[in-house]
Amino acid sequence: MAQPQEAYATRNPNNIRTDVLAEARQACYKARDAFYACVEKETDKKPTEIASVGLLYPSDCKASRAEFEKLCRASWVNHFDRQYCKNRRVQRLLDDKESRRV
Amino acid sequence: MPISRFLLSCSRRHSTEALNLLRSGICRFYPIGRPKEMQSVPSKRIQFHNYCKSSKKPNGRLGNDPVMAIETQTTPRSWGTYAIPAGAILGFVGLATFIHYNDERRVTLKGQGTSSSGNIVMGPIIGGPFTLVDTENWVVTEKNLLGNWVLLCFGYTSSPDVGPEQLQIMAKALEKLDSKYNARVLPVFVTIDPQRDTPAQLRAYLKEFDPRILGLTGAVSAVRQMAQEYRVYFKKVEEEGDDYLVESSHMMYLMNPNMELARCFGVEYNADELSEAILKELKRNPIQ
Repeated sequence: MAQPQEAYATRNPNNIRTDVLAEARQACYKARDAFYACVEKETDKKPTEIASVGLLYPSDCKASRAEFEKLCRASWVNHFDRQYCKNRRVQRLLDDKESRRV
Repeated sequence: MPISRFLLSCSRRHSTEALNLLRSGICRFYPIGRPKEMQSVPSKRIQFHNYCKSSKKPNGRLGNDPVMAIETQTTPRSWGTYAIPAGAILGFVGLATFIHYNDERRVTLKGQGTSSSGNIVMGPIIGGPFTLVDTENWVVTEKNLLGNWVLLCFGYTSSPDVGPEQLQIMAKALEKLDSKYNARVLPVFVTIDPQRDTPAQLRAYLKEFDPRILGLTGAVSAVRQMAQEYRVYFKKVEEEGDDYLVESSHMMYLMNPNMELARCFGVEYNADELSEAILKELKRNPIQ
């Protein structure tokens, strides 16, 4: 049972995955921020493209999305998308409450 | 006090009746004892006898002088009626005294109250033996860490945001402690993703934060055992072949030089607060 689980480590004992080291991380964060900034900016436009985990974004941001997906790992992309959706939902909740009060 | 005294007086006054009772009853209980002996014994044994045998009275002393004051009734039931409540009251008073004494013993004086706030672990014993491998492929057990204050955290290199942030805070706090207060705390990072985090990977990753951080990895079972001892939750999520995230509890554990848990810190601490809190702990237990 331990065999397949340890397989990765024994397969590449000296292979260092550089895509999680500082540089790669910084690049990924930049791309992510750029993409989300784009989405924020274009909130008036209708979101047509499908990102992951239910996030939709307008087609104007396709380029930054491609950059984002290239520089970050797939699991990270999902993670950030999910976080973004959650924040958006909370923001919307707070904003709605305010408008209702007014 | 007064109750026992006047029971004694009762016994002396009605010693003959008492003797009869004793002869009939106590002979059954104390086959060795003679009635004469019983006469000299104080009211204790009489009390006991009456307490047990008050319901089965062969002698008909009950009806005598009902008009007389209740206290001077010679019937054996009188002993019982006084023994039981007396015993109960004494028992209750004893219990109350014990509880009060216990409370007094545990009291914390005003002003010396909670010097340590909520994060003190008073529950299960956190920590225990482990056998892992460090970034240079040396075997490290908890014995190697004795004698140092240790700040232990669990994470994995492929963490998108929380892991790097936590390590950043840890590195900054330790830097501050070292430069400003000259306090030595050994940072240890244990990976909860040993399948992907090889020693080489850990070394490359941790080097970017602080070269003093000791990275530990090992067999999956060893890591799981250590995580269990430290009550760390971790779980693989979003699995897509080799690419997955590991959900885990983000806690930093401060261990004293005997490898016992002193405090734990959550993610709400930033570098300054962390260094302050660690310093406070170090000052509190100067086991250098």
